[in-house]
Amino acid sequence: MPAVVQVENLRKEFGKVRALDAVSFEIQEGEWIAIMGPSGSGKTTLINILGGLDTPTSGRAAVDGVEVGRLDEAGLTRFRAEKIGFVFQQFHLVPYLTAVENVMLAQYFHSTTDEQEARQALERVGLGDRTEHLPTQLSGGEQQRVAVARALINQPKLILADEPTGNLDEANEKIVLDLLRELHSEGRTILMVTHAPTIGALADRRIDFSHGHLVSQQGAGAPEEK
Amino acid sequence: MFWRLVFQLLRGSRARLTVAILALVSGAAVISGLLNLDFGVEDQLTQQFRTLGANVIIAPPPGQSTPDAPLADFELMDEAAVLGQMRQFAGANVFAPFAYVITRVEETPIVAVGTWLDQLQKLNPTWKLEGNWISSRADTSACLIGRNASKQLRVNAGDRLQLQYLTRNASCKISGIIDSGASDDNQVFLNLDALQRLAAIPGKISVVQVSASGSPQTVAATAGQLGAALPQLQVHPIREVTDAEGALLGRIRLLIVSMIMLILALTALCVLATMAALAMERRADVGLMKALGGSITRIVSLFVAEVGLLGAVGGFAGTILGVGLSYWMGFRVFGIAVTPQWQIFPITIILMTLVAMAGAWPLRLLGEVKPAIILRGE
Repeated sequence: MPAVVQVENLRKEFGKVRALDAVSFEIQEGEWIAIMGPSGSGKTTLINILGGLDTPTSGRAAVDGVEVGRLDEAGLTRFRAEKIGFVFQQFHLVPYLTAVENVMLAQYFHSTTDEQEARQALERVGLGDRTEHLPTQLSGGEQQRVAVARALINQPKLILADEPTGNLDEANEKIVLDLLRELHSEGRTILMVTHAPTIGALADRRIDFSHGHLVSQQGAGAPEEK
Repeated sequence: MFWRLVFQLLRGSRARLTVAILALVSGAAVISGLLNLDFGVEDQLTQQFRTLGANVIIAPPPGQSTPDAPLADFELMDEAAVLGQMRQFAGANVFAPFAYVITRVEETPIVAVGTWLDQLQKLNPTWKLEGNWISSRADTSACLIGRNASKQLRVNAGDRLQLQYLTRNASCKISGIIDSGASDDNQVFLNLDALQRLAAIPGKISVVQVSASGSPQTVAATAGQLGAALPQLQVHPIREVTDAEGALLGRIRLLIVSMIMLILALTALCVLATMAALAMERRADVGLMKALGGSITRIVSLFVAEVGLLGAVGGFAGTILGVGLSYWMGFRVFGIAVTPQWQIFPITIILMTLVAMAGAWPLRLLGEVKPAIILRGE
């Protein structure tokens, strides 16, 4: 079976700064990958390229067979709507939309909306009784769970989670991690950026970055050290 | 979902959008008020100018008579032929035939005018009368006299008047004294048949005065139609009246159009300032929408619909206020009752929607938003 994510010799430069350099790895369907490394190591740049929010300077980054660097603006927009589910550290919910409307927003940009399906997605993350609440009426953990429901609603091939528990207290962190664990057990492919080794340990495989280079891979499915 | 999102956008930015909607409502109120006044003033001015008297004259062609021709042929028209053609122009138009002859009253020369006495007041609504108007066209015993003539002849309402023309005499009882403020004050007005008998010009008239209804253009058109129907006669609008009306209407319309353009520009500027601030506020939302796979066309269409809705609602609410404003201004400034002109509703709503969309120009900047940068919190 071909890899869901294929990254080959990927390079990204911002002016004279090389954010990613000669990065290569693959992710198989259903894998949970933790991307780790210090600030400025290129983790978020990698996620942005794989999520179609940015394009590589050179090299290849493909998700579900679609090479991001070859897409134009409209193609990237469709790619984000159809292939990717984002979960951000800052939650990034639209403040004047209710929880269910935030989930439906992803449906709206993907194809057509189905309110019943959006409510079921919220029930699944334990927010069945908070569907009509605005983000300001929800706790941080609840907001992140809405973001997870939104990321799942279009059945994306890849869930990109950038520090998904970075802004949460311990109790809410556990809830969100349990959710990710549950998604993983269902066979979802998850790429998660985190600083915390304990959270990184939950993933099948851990990929470490430093100064834009992939420095190591550990865990199941990691290529053997040469 | 589209309209649900639009309403949530409106709700989410209601504080800032209140400024825009206030600008749109105010702009629409003034514009619709001016438009209503413009339409109303045209009707009212047309009516007011009609009170100044006849605005079209039908007369014999010049140079038809010779100096030694008998009176019967001297610049006179055939009453039956002219009035027969005039019937098709009845209705909104008021007209009456006139015949003039210089008579003597106890050796004092005075112009006697034969006409349809029942039409005098309709043709000259501003004339003042001391006594009674004559309501019967067939009444040959009553007459009206101008203020100056009554003083000159020392007669009053109720007195009898003996008019002499050559060897013939006519007598009438003065029903009222006219104060027109013009040369009519020097004349005596009597029944047309009575004057024709006195002057021995049966079936002949000097002119037909017409008070044509409508705008200056309509009056000119009516004169043209009359001219075509009566090609052997002179038909011409009285330029002093129609030109004055046209000039006044033109000036009022220029003023109103200038003010409308100015207000449209000011409203657009106000909406533009609000939308520029709103565009900055919404960068994060747009960045997120783009990250979720929203195309710029779908995202901007939400904002365009939001602004269009604001313009339409502002235009509608403003028009209701504007109609009230024009009613008030009509009374206070022009002394007329301006009735609501319903066609200003679609005109104002369309104008305000277009202005709102023009003012939303800064929202185009949202197309440049890079989601990766926004999501990093920059």
